[in-house]
Amino acid sequence: MGSDLLLAATTPAAAAGGGTDFFSILLWPFKWIVETILVAWHWLFTAVGLGPGSGLTWVLSIIGLVIVIRAAVFPLFVKQIKSQRKMMEIAPQLKKVQEKYKGKRDQLSREAMSRETMALYKKHGTTPVSSCLPMLVQMPFLLGMFYTLRDVAAHAQAGVGGVGPLNAQLTKLFYDATLFGVAPLHIDLRSALETKPAGWEATATILIVLVVLMIASQFYTQLQIISKNLSPEAKTGQAYQMQKIMLYILPLGFIFSGVFFPLGVVLYWFVSNLWTMAQQFLVIREMPTPGSDAARHREERLAAKGKAINSEGKVVPMAVYEAEQQRLLEEAERAKAQAPKREQPMGKKRAKKKGSN
Amino acid sequence: MSALPSYAFGTARFRASDLLRGILLLPRNAVLAFLVVYRAIVSPMYGDVCRYYPSCSAYAVGAVQQHGAVWGTVLSAWRILRCNPWSKGGVDDVHSHAHFRYELTRRGFVVPARKEMNSGF
Repeated sequence: MGSDLLLAATTPAAAAGGGTDFFSILLWPFKWIVETILVAWHWLFTAVGLGPGSGLTWVLSIIGLVIVIRAAVFPLFVKQIKSQRKMMEIAPQLKKVQEKYKGKRDQLSREAMSRETMALYKKHGTTPVSSCLPMLVQMPFLLGMFYTLRDVAAHAQAGVGGVGPLNAQLTKLFYDATLFGVAPLHIDLRSALETKPAGWEATATILIVLVVLMIASQFYTQLQIISKNLSPEAKTGQAYQMQKIMLYILPLGFIFSGVFFPLGVVLYWFVSNLWTMAQQFLVIREMPTPGSDAARHREERLAAKGKAINSEGKVVPMAVYEAEQQRLLEEAERAKAQAPKREQPMGKKRAKKKGSN
Repeated sequence: MSALPSYAFGTARFRASDLLRGILLLPRNAVLAFLVVYRAIVSPMYGDVCRYYPSCSAYAVGAVQQHGAVWGTVLSAWRILRCNPWSKGGVDDVHSHAHFRYELTRRGFVVPARKEMNSGF
């Protein structure tokens, strides 16, 4: 989900101010939610005995924030995976469409093919893709986090609170919180190098390590998807080429923007990436895209255990699978035998003549 | 990034003499420029995720071209809300504006129509 922060970095985020620009106003509700979740976790960790001003409490609160937001979109994710399973049923029809447009690379053919494919998915109530909302809904929260942290610095100095439950006192505590006792959560690499506060060497090291980890986790997740979990069809398009190029270009962009991210945001992003990585690992292993390498590996693993995937996408013992295949084959043959033979088309005149006899 | 549908392109060119008339079109072209950047940089990270054809960002391009920055954005937001795990997806084109008075360039930007050849969408 790094794209969101890339956007954040390109917006006038570094501009100082108490959040009166257009973007801040737009993000007000998300900032409010972010603050509420942060404060709730902070309250909980303080209640169990952690120091209200300690860095650990705030770091755990940030991790808690990631967990709440990612858990909230998790049902959407499960729904999507379930609908992917039905993909196997329409594979033959999908193949027909692909055959029809085989080798046609002009724009209109590609468009017609996309249209037909989408209509087919709709007809059968299945799709290999997730949908846009769950992806985009996380964006404002990430931006909200970015703005909340950015504002903490200004607010703490002015002695005021945030837009929600993060009051002046908590803002001050958050502002003073440090990771490992040296690195303030609100500091970014640029200002750490410019202002050189006490222990800035350690702060800079922590930030660089975190940025590298964050980029590495992002890269790894994308690489896993591209190399393992794409169907052969998805690998033919222009979009795939673009995705492959972006895989290598984007980390470079993040190195640049990582310089301007406060430590707390880098931390948030990194934890969020870890979640994505784990989620993706599970999906690639247990619910891969039909037709992809990952799906083949899963079938091999299942076969080794004497199991197979039936036509409904469920895991069954090999014997049951073979019986089903046999039955399907017989059904197909019977249907073929029953289907009427194609007759020679008859002209209107001849048909009339025949009818009148 | 999925390709734009063919109706999102035109053959018109931007001419310097249209600068003044084009001021009204500035908001929608600004949004279109943002969408071009988004589709080039951010979309590829997500890969193919959209349940519709054209994809949400491609729909947004069409909506802004046809209906302008404000209504186009509203239509696009509504489309994104519809593109959720419970939706069926399918083909969902932008309704073209009933009286589209402009022309599209090869890159999908909107320019004032030329009077002699009014071949708008």
